[in-house]
Amino acid sequence: MTKQYYFEDFAPGRTWEIEGPVVGRDEIVEFARRFDPQPFHVDERAAMGSPFGGLIASGWHTACICMRLIWDAYLADAASLGSPGVKELRWTRPVRPGDRLRLKMTVLEAKRSRTKPDRGTVLHRCEVYNQRGEVVMDMDGYGMFERRPR
Amino acid sequence: MFELYFEDFHPGWTFEQGARTLSAADIKAFAREWDPQRYHTDEEQARASPYGGLIASGWQTACVGMRLMCDGYLNRSACVGSPGIEEIRFLAPVRPGDTLRFRSTATEVRPSKTKPHRGTVTFTWEVLNQAGEVVLSMVGTQLFLRRPAAADRGA
Repeated sequence: MTKQYYFEDFAPGRTWEIEGPVVGRDEIVEFARRFDPQPFHVDERAAMGSPFGGLIASGWHTACICMRLIWDAYLADAASLGSPGVKELRWTRPVRPGDRLRLKMTVLEAKRSRTKPDRGTVLHRCEVYNQRGEVVMDMDGYGMFERRPR
Repeated sequence: MFELYFEDFHPGWTFEQGARTLSAADIKAFAREWDPQRYHTDEEQARASPYGGLIASGWQTACVGMRLMCDGYLNRSACVGSPGIEEIRFLAPVRPGDTLRFRSTATEVRPSKTKPHRGTVTFTWEVLNQAGEVVLSMVGTQLFLRRPAAADRGA
């Protein structure tokens, strides 16, 4: 099956930007109840008394939204072979109910595999912004992609 | 008020918590929402992929680890969030029926220089399968409040 994006399409400096969802209070609580039930993610009253001063989304929720936006931006049409990992992930500001998120991705590096000529690894910087243009999360992550068939 | 404060962590402190078994339905449901790559959502396409079958999204494995951490000790602690993760490695695929455990090991503790009531702890967090194989490892930091008496003495 032919895809739009192969390894060759990830030239350093290339960017994608995509609008994301408004993150609602109920979604924050529901995600956190499943995966990260710390008081400031699931309990409004406890969150008010926490250093955050109110309910905030789990950082893993923001990371999952980021992953979904990567999919929506290009991954759905890319010859992806998975990921060996993430180099660095920083939660720089809280995500609060009603925040609208946006993803900007930039290709930092693209390296052909030395041992497997059919593929290469791409390092991306993913910056997640809120509606005020503040970075709430940034992450440098790796993806492996097939090379374009000749 | 909490059982675990900053002072309770020291390099070498470790905690293990099990267990969560992921079914094919769990893997596909998570992936449809957050990471709909073919080897996470569709058995047939997954068989034809380099993974040879359905595998869990690495984000699901990380989230399961986070939940086991909360159940194990974090919700008994004075944790006030995390500035981030220095590294995440997806080391081995997680397949339907795998039973995951979580292991946390503290590697460094640093009292805050500017905020006397808290400190930072660096951990290695690992998710292991039923064979004892590490499927995901992370180096992460979290902030913890200091034990109230200690913070008062320091203030």
